Amino acid sequence: MLAAIIAAMVYAPTEQQMGDVQRIFYFHVSSALCAAMAYFLVFVGSVEYLRTRQDRWDRFAGVRAEVGVLFSAFVLFSGPLWARPIWGVFWRWEPRLATMLITLTIYVAYLMVRNYGDPGERTQRFAAVVGVVAFVSVPFVQYSIKLWSADQQLHPQKVELGPMMEQTKWLCYFAFACLFTLLLRLRLNQERQAARLQALSRSTT
Amino acid sequence: MNETRSMWSHTRLLLRKDLLAEWRSKERLSPMVFFVLLVLLVYNFAFELGGAALWEIGPGVLWSSFVFASLFGLQRTFAAESTNDCLDALLVAPIDRGSLYLAKMVGNVLFLLGVQLLTLPLFGLFFNLNPGLYLLPLFIVFFLGAASVASVGTLFSAMTEHSRLREFLLPLLVLPVLIPALISCVAATSVVLAGGIPGRSAVLWPPDLTIHVGMLALFAMVFTTLAWMLFDFVIEE
Repeated sequence: MLAAIIAAMVYAPTEQQMGDVQRIFYFHVSSALCAAMAYFLVFVGSVEYLRTRQDRWDRFAGVRAEVGVLFSAFVLFSGPLWARPIWGVFWRWEPRLATMLITLTIYVAYLMVRNYGDPGERTQRFAAVVGVVAFVSVPFVQYSIKLWSADQQLHPQKVELGPMMEQTKWLCYFAFACLFTLLLRLRLNQERQAARLQALSRSTT
Repeated sequence: MNETRSMWSHTRLLLRKDLLAEWRSKERLSPMVFFVLLVLLVYNFAFELGGAALWEIGPGVLWSSFVFASLFGLQRTFAAESTNDCLDALLVAPIDRGSLYLAKMVGNVLFLLGVQLLTLPLFGLFFNLNPGLYLLPLFIVFFLGAASVASVGTLFSAMTEHSRLREFLLPLLVLPVLIPALISCVAATSVVLAGGIPGRSAVLWPPDLTIHVGMLALFAMVFTTLAWMLFDFVIEE
């Protein structure tokens, strides 16, 4: 991770047109990829939970949704920082931005179902159902926003990177993948302990 | 074959029960219609409707009031069944759960369609809409919009029925998922309403309409099927 930061900040050459702000790109894209991965895994976990009814699949999905929301929020936070100097404004109602925001709200709603429901099997089932619906709705969001959007696609379509930039990009992908796994494992461990603690306290009373 | 037929007849039976109850009590339709009227009033004073506003914000006003009203209606979907534990009786009865979903979903479509048709004249009045044949495709848009709302809404209302935070949770779940359908509804409605711009030759089916209507139809079909498949998991006790 540290190496990725150093690479993004120092090693990668400064982009000619955009200057130093371009360096956000490395983290921005990496976390967007992590978020997409997380949402896909929420879907997998939800389907598996509905199939097998094992608590571990419920935890699997829930933890990934949390981390996915975290990374999406970072994407939406780092985006405007880059957009301000490049587009002149923090926010444009531009296809990818709007899609990301709506997807984020869907998964925040998913987390609310998990957290505000009474703990138990029913909430797990409901969450899994939402997890499936949420994932199916993402392509709809993406396509409809494209139809609706007045702004054309403003995201750079094809980025030409020098070899040093390429290396930095891949290093950042790798570092974020590690961070992603690390966060998941930490959170999953915690959830497991919590479940065990609950089982213990239930068995003593 | 026999199974499908019995599923349809169960669906029809359940639907008939709900419609009859609604016909006698009118406890869903009248509050929803009145609510749409109130929202239109609020928008009227917030934006000064009329004139060019019809084409600029009219479709948005119309659909946001429909969606908010539908949230009330959706919340009542299973309310009648939870008094006297009717839902348990329905679940014990030898009927397919899918037909319960379909009956409730079609019921919601009909209620929402009723609200839309009853409030459209009011909307026309406030916005000085020219009546004409060009408005006909609007009914298709209304139907598909209602079907989209009901497809997702019926599933989620079955989920939130038991939740402590029912009133909060339903909109939080329904609204983000519904945004794609809402975009198409608003876009299609504004294409239709544009037919009424004075001096414009009215066409019955503007070519721009096809993509939005197609999108809505796809949304309604995909989510009805998905919700129908998932409904079993939601109501099993």
